[in-house]
Amino acid sequence: MDIFVVICVAGPVFELGALLLLVRNGLWRSYTSFFVYLTWLLVGNSAILIASVYFPGIYPTLYWHIDSIDVVLRFLVIWEVFHQIFPKTSGLNRSLSKGFGLIAFGLLAFGCATFLIYQNYTGPRSIHLALDRSFAFVQALMILGTLVAARYYGVRCGRNIRGIALAFGGWMSISTATNAMADLTTSFITYWYYLRPLSFVVMIAVWIWALWIYDPNPPIVESEPVELGQWTEDWNRTISAARTIIRP
Amino acid sequence: MINLILFAILGLALFGSFIVLALQGSPRSLPDSSAVQAVTEIINLEGSSFSNAKRLLDDTDYQVLCSNPDLRRLAERLRNERRRLALTWISLLQNDLITLWRFRRFLIQRGVPSNVREELGTLQALVLSLVLLIFLRLSIHAVGPFALPRATRQAGRLVDSMSKGAALVLGRIPTAGWAEIERSWVKSAA
Repeated sequence: MDIFVVICVAGPVFELGALLLLVRNGLWRSYTSFFVYLTWLLVGNSAILIASVYFPGIYPTLYWHIDSIDVVLRFLVIWEVFHQIFPKTSGLNRSLSKGFGLIAFGLLAFGCATFLIYQNYTGPRSIHLALDRSFAFVQALMILGTLVAARYYGVRCGRNIRGIALAFGGWMSISTATNAMADLTTSFITYWYYLRPLSFVVMIAVWIWALWIYDPNPPIVESEPVELGQWTEDWNRTISAARTIIRP
Repeated sequence: MINLILFAILGLALFGSFIVLALQGSPRSLPDSSAVQAVTEIINLEGSSFSNAKRLLDDTDYQVLCSNPDLRRLAERLRNERRRLALTWISLLQNDLITLWRFRRFLIQRGVPSNVREELGTLQALVLSLVLLIFLRLSIHAVGPFALPRATRQAGRLVDSMSKGAALVLGRIPTAGWAEIERSWVKSAA
């Protein structure tokens, strides 16, 4: 129980530390969405902490209500990461944002579907765990997709965004797995009880490391706009020629 | 139940992916020097510059040698030599395709308009073409270089197409030096 209390207290303390770093370095202007989310985390987790000590009767309800709001607000982090890696003014954003938007919409629909079918599960089940699990999975995929796309196009990430994205993705992944295991077997609840806040605190600690210095993403160097139509035509001709070698 | 097991496995797999990404370090951006390198590679697409592919896979000489019993060993040597050359040529074609693909990534990173559908289509085409070329390599290994006579005729088209494609890609680059290279290439290719 003592370890649990330490973990729960460490959460708001670390959040406060991360917020102070954002304010001290003036980073909140660059990472506005992230700043809003971090402020929410501090307010929400402080309320949970106070409720657990002074109002234990409303603690479970408050905890899960705040968690449900948090599920939605986590998209702010994804938004921040995507727009920092692919700035609105960049050609990459112009090229890919529509496609990524469609993929994100598909993932959201998938998240809603997997949440809604939780009622079909047999045995004990939790609506909160189902909500958290479904959307944590979707959010982890979104962050992973953004990072993989950045790597594919050779877009460099600074320490700030890289740390934020990786820690957030790691936390979402663990959240997906642990929430599923908690619903699978009640014996896992004991571990879940510690793993959930611990993984969250580790994420905030990584965020503090990431924000310790101002290291934004380097700007994407761009050429003047050029047409790719001819390239596509040549590429298609080359590919079709390659195919006809085998299948004339 | 299956859903929950899948979520647990996928969650752990995703966590592993993030760990791998964290350990790999920051992705390297494509520097200007590599742009020059990419252009240079496109100018000298080695598979495209080989213009005797048709002759390489033509079995006429081999058949002539085989028709004389005294020259059977010589015919076998010719066949082995052609096999080695054909394999080298296909390997160069594979490299050319990859070079073109990398150059496309480079262009898009520099702001050339595109969309996810085109990108996925390009990736699909690349993978399929590479698979097909690997199949061709395997067939040459297994049954020799003269086994696909129609493929021989089409090989020339592939080389021709790739050469044109490379020159036109060069033409899309608005840098004065590269434009000069493009003009020189088109002139020499004409």
